[in-house]
Amino acid sequence: MSGFFKKNGSIISTFFLIAITFWLIFLILIPQLYMLDLSFRPNLPPLLRGGPDDVYTLTHYKHFVFGSETSKDAYNYVDIGVFVDTIGTAILVTIINLCFCYPIAFYIAKLATPNATRLLILALIIPFWINELLRSFAIRILFAGEGVINNLLLEMGLLDAAVNFIALDVALYTGLTYAYILLMIFPLYNALETLDTNQLEAAKDLGSSTLRTHWRIVIPHAKAGIASGSTMVFMLTAGALATPVVLSSPNTFWFTQLIYQWFNMNDNWSRGSAYSIILLVVSVAFVLLMMRIFRVTIGEVVR
Amino acid sequence: MTSNRTFQIFLGLYISIFFLYLFGPLIIMSVTAFNSAEFPSITPWECFSFRWFNEGKIAYDGQRLAGLAADRDLHVGLITSLFIALGVVTLSVPIGMSAAIVLTQVHSKLRTLFYSMSIMPVLFPGVVIGISTVVLWDRIATIGGEGIISELGRNGIFLTILGQTCFISTYCFLIFVARLQRFDTTQEEAALDLGASQTQVFMKILIPYLMPAIGSSAVIAFLASFENYNTTVFSILSEQTLTTVIATKVRLGISPAISALAFVIICMTLIAAVLYEFFRRRQEKKKALESAAKMYKEISSDRLKQDSKKAFILPKSIL
Repeated sequence: MSGFFKKNGSIISTFFLIAITFWLIFLILIPQLYMLDLSFRPNLPPLLRGGPDDVYTLTHYKHFVFGSETSKDAYNYVDIGVFVDTIGTAILVTIINLCFCYPIAFYIAKLATPNATRLLILALIIPFWINELLRSFAIRILFAGEGVINNLLLEMGLLDAAVNFIALDVALYTGLTYAYILLMIFPLYNALETLDTNQLEAAKDLGSSTLRTHWRIVIPHAKAGIASGSTMVFMLTAGALATPVVLSSPNTFWFTQLIYQWFNMNDNWSRGSAYSIILLVVSVAFVLLMMRIFRVTIGEVVR
Repeated sequence: MTSNRTFQIFLGLYISIFFLYLFGPLIIMSVTAFNSAEFPSITPWECFSFRWFNEGKIAYDGQRLAGLAADRDLHVGLITSLFIALGVVTLSVPIGMSAAIVLTQVHSKLRTLFYSMSIMPVLFPGVVIGISTVVLWDRIATIGGEGIISELGRNGIFLTILGQTCFISTYCFLIFVARLQRFDTTQEEAALDLGASQTQVFMKILIPYLMPAIGSSAVIAFLASFENYNTTVFSILSEQTLTTVIATKVRLGISPAISALAFVIICMTLIAAVLYEFFRRRQEKKKALESAAKMYKEISSDRLKQDSKKAFILPKSIL
């Protein structure tokens, strides 16, 4: 500690310490810990907090698993269903994004000329400077009942009646895939860029097929990028709120919307906290799983 | 050879489809902003108009659909968003910088812990960060009783700045870490040996070296804050930002005024991108010229040295 002060001088050291403590303790650690604490407490009006009723309880987690005490079902099928749907869809979106982006990332990193590379990267970034809500809105214009796709298909005579893409969740899946595609491309591109082109040529000269080259050389080389891209896309999709708000049908719920409902409409903050903790635990578990599968460190995942 | 040809065609097609997927929705949305119909669409094209940018339209059922220029909510939201973004930039850039510098000074075990903690917020879902900020500050406000603390704890703008700073600082941190990895510490040591104080070293060497990172992290922080929805929607409480206004509008029903807003944002983005590319090209040219000039100078000075060496060899005939 004294070495630290000696190295930076007292003024700067104090500044560093204040900034870092403020961030790590007051912005990251305490809010999360307090939320964790709140999720184990009953939902009380502010005046009763800290009183005799304010004891630790598992009601909110029980509610997630078994449902409210008045319901007849053995389990809380609605909430668990929403949760499983959300996670399943997020995994699906991640896989689609990975398959969709891999050829593009490979093309930009290895096949395109340097000038084309720069232009393509710029072209990739531009759509992502535009608000996620507005991008979802663009998808909604395409898929709405009187939207562009329906009108086009009807005029061409391919459809007899408008298809409700929003109720079929086509719009939601398209929007979610669209929303975070950049976060898949960039890690992949960064990883593939460092691949030595000579290796590809050597493989070709030795008679390996394109598919085999990719499976044995390119993909192993890009594994850090794959892990990083998949993690980011999964986390953001599972935790997405803007896209589901715009694109989900009235009878489809995203888990974050459920949290929002407990929190803002039902004013049950501790249950909202408990559901947030569930989402948080799943997200962190997914990161750890990816680190385990791809044998990468956390520093390689978040870049 | 033919297989190569088909491969090329296939690849070209794939890339076109990909970029069509990226840009198609945005282009169609921009076009719908100019159709006077109440529902954003292209095919029953009523007539070309700017009404969604100006005053809007009175719908057939008498409901007033405001255009961009007439929408007060949007204007208030925009100002709040800008204010929050500025607050987030002023907090998160210094925090990210301090954390990155300190990371270079701690060692082994502590370093891993510190790094993991610093990047944690990126792995938290945005809604979780928003909720945790609100519940904590509500508690603080309750305990604080009347007065400034209680007011701050229930102020949506203040909470949003704190919540966004929590994870945007990590973005800044990562940018600074990348820049610091290439820092040559001998510069600092040299300055200290020559009698500079630590504060002077920091202000005169480290800060100028970090300037590009400060710039880019400020831009990233500003953009990230400006478009954030997931955290903001919880922490903003009774206030409204641009994104929450847009979300409310989209949920109420889709109006071409939103297309008009999107069109304005797309145009601004395109201009920014073109300017960025232009400046980068110019800077690259300047750099290339500079390095050419430097090389020329070095070569010529080498030649001078060689010539001077020759000049100092005395002709044998003198001896």
